[in-house]
Amino acid sequence: MLAQNYYRYKQYFDQGGVIFSFSGFISEEILFALGDALRKKLSLEDTDANTIKRVFSVFVEQVQNIIRYSIERVDCVNKDAPAALSSGIIIVGFEDGQFYVGCGNTVYSDDVAGLRENLEILRKLDKDELRAFYREKLKEETDDSRQGANLGLIEIARRSSVPIEFEFLDIDANKVFFCIKSYI
Amino acid sequence: MENIYIAPSERTPEIDFDFVNGKLSIKGEAYPEDASNFFGPLLSSIHKYLQTKPQREVMLDIHLEYFNSSSAKALMNLLKIMDESVEAGARAVVRWHYNENDETMQEFGEDFSEDLRFLRYEMVRIG
Repeated sequence: MLAQNYYRYKQYFDQGGVIFSFSGFISEEILFALGDALRKKLSLEDTDANTIKRVFSVFVEQVQNIIRYSIERVDCVNKDAPAALSSGIIIVGFEDGQFYVGCGNTVYSDDVAGLRENLEILRKLDKDELRAFYREKLKEETDDSRQGANLGLIEIARRSSVPIEFEFLDIDANKVFFCIKSYI
Repeated sequence: MENIYIAPSERTPEIDFDFVNGKLSIKGEAYPEDASNFFGPLLSSIHKYLQTKPQREVMLDIHLEYFNSSSAKALMNLLKIMDESVEAGARAVVRWHYNENDETMQEFGEDFSEDLRFLRYEMVRIG
């Protein structure tokens, strides 16, 4: 049964063109290690340098979003150490001639409306408008972490060849599973 | 002011601030765990240094191949601080280096310079 189950998981991923996936608690160290492996894998396959950069950038912003905003998390006892573990899923793959990076994590239901609004705005903007929007957000004098996430989402949208896909799935009365998928 | 040298790490750029000779450089990749933690002290040293109105023109070379969105925010703040210092009487130039064919870094270089009013800013294409 063990081999059968694991083989089924692997086949499921292979059919979706998955290059690698990670599910569970993720840290900045894991982000670095996975990102490094991703770049190595893509450059060994002679992927165009600009494409590697775009895939990597989307990957970094998505994983940092999980680390910062997933509500399934283990915080450090020491308040000065930011290194916490946050749970989520990240998938990098190749499908219909395009790379994609997708991620999912749990958020509070109260945050869904804001996220949806931000993502709907980004979906309507073209390349030049996204560039202008990024520039505008960059200038705003704020250290609000939400704004940081916003800049990250704009970065993801800028590096994507089509509008970002996103979806919310209710888990219970207070929690929602939030996913995005970006084609590069 | 004492010079600052920070060797490059896997996620942070090489920092070489030679305050004695007015030559500052940021080179490599930047996606630190905590961007304000990494860049914050560097920003305040440049600010303090420019407030001393060094005799010579200060040159900052930035040659980054990748940075994440939180580092972008820090870089923007750095340029803003330098622009204000030049307005207040310091002399400084920033050279933004980017590799030929690297559209992303070229675009960022252009975007960062857009609102600078006093700081001299040059784009240097490396091919």
